[in-house]
Amino acid sequence: MRILIADDEPVSLRMLEKTLQRAGYEVTAVRNGREAVEKLCHSDGPRLALLDWMMPELDGPAVCREVRSRRGQSHVHLILLTSKNSKQDVVKGLASGADDYLVKPFDPEELKARLHTGLRILQLEDNLLEAREEMRYKATHDALTALLNRGTIVELLARELTRTRRENGCTIAVLGDLDHFKLVNDTHGHLVGDEVLCEVARRLLGSVRSYDFVGRYGGEEFLLVLNNCDAKMSMQRAEEIRAAVCQSPFVTSRGPMSITLSVGVIASRDREHLCVEELLCEADRALYSAKAAGRNCSRLA
Amino acid sequence: MCEENSFVPNDSLIEEFMDLPELLARVENDRELLTELLVMFRNELPELQNALHDAIDLGDLAQAAKVAHTLKGMSANMSLRRGTSLITEIEAAAKSGDIPVLTKRLVALDTEITGLSAAIDALTVGTQ
Repeated sequence: MRILIADDEPVSLRMLEKTLQRAGYEVTAVRNGREAVEKLCHSDGPRLALLDWMMPELDGPAVCREVRSRRGQSHVHLILLTSKNSKQDVVKGLASGADDYLVKPFDPEELKARLHTGLRILQLEDNLLEAREEMRYKATHDALTALLNRGTIVELLARELTRTRRENGCTIAVLGDLDHFKLVNDTHGHLVGDEVLCEVARRLLGSVRSYDFVGRYGGEEFLLVLNNCDAKMSMQRAEEIRAAVCQSPFVTSRGPMSITLSVGVIASRDREHLCVEELLCEADRALYSAKAAGRNCSRLA
Repeated sequence: MCEENSFVPNDSLIEEFMDLPELLARVENDRELLTELLVMFRNELPELQNALHDAIDLGDLAQAAKVAHTLKGMSANMSLRRGTSLITEIEAAAKSGDIPVLTKRLVALDTEITGLSAAIDALTVGTQ
């Protein structure tokens, strides 16, 4: 674990440095408050710090205040280590944003125990952030295919429409529906159906650029949002995506299967008056035209 | 080499000025580090001592309190006995503007520093 120590007094700095190195810390030592802030506010900076109170340029409490206001989400555990030992000083130090307060001269065992407490708090924070990220992912992605879920892909389409209209660009929405998918489920079971959906997701992702979006719109329906496109290329892109899905048989636990996709595609250019729901409605109509035309084909809205 | 330069046989020389068992516990019985810190401390003392005198001579008690505070932290870290008490009193006197106490304690501190510096020099000769 990396730790920053800030103290303008060399004897104290060296004593701390050696104690912490012996305890297994990777120590960064600085001799003024400004330098401490710069190191701690760096995105990859230490998350544990021992700060003297009186230092040139910025004192310990000022360092705490600045780190708290600049560092953002990631918590830094700040401990003031100072000769100031009155109750008022302790209150003032903690009020500035310090997490803990130790009075010089330090006792090595107590120092290590306090740092251990700091590490526990940082670990707890990491666990919470990880859990939050996991929840965010689950709330925005489809559990089976790991594609974006319906709410997220529609929200992204709305955002892209706003952006491309502002920039006088064009977004293409591609709505695809697997042909006769109910038959796959009814004949081979839902687990095989799930295998097919996952493989479709993989093929769709492989057919677009890294900055396009692919989502599961419904049971066997998929919505793709293609950014910064030429409206004239809409049909060509739709056909490429459709072909990418159908190009080769799907290998499933019940053997190879031919799966096809019907596609409705719409470009936002010249449809500035349409909101996202209306645009999707048009794409849906085009999709049904494709189905009516015998499936395994694309139709432009 | 380290053994030759260490002060193990002469601990009594500095024990008059500092609580050696306490200091050794603080450095986790690392005698090499202790020697290094004593040399550093010895080298820092004259500058801080002069700064304290200058501030008092100029009547800048705020600056005197600030220097005394730094000295106090250093002395406490090095487990000085009388030194830490004297500097604590000097810091308090500078803050309250008690010039007579300040002057008296400063004289005592100078004497303490002279003795301490000589003891450290004797112990760490050849390490600086």
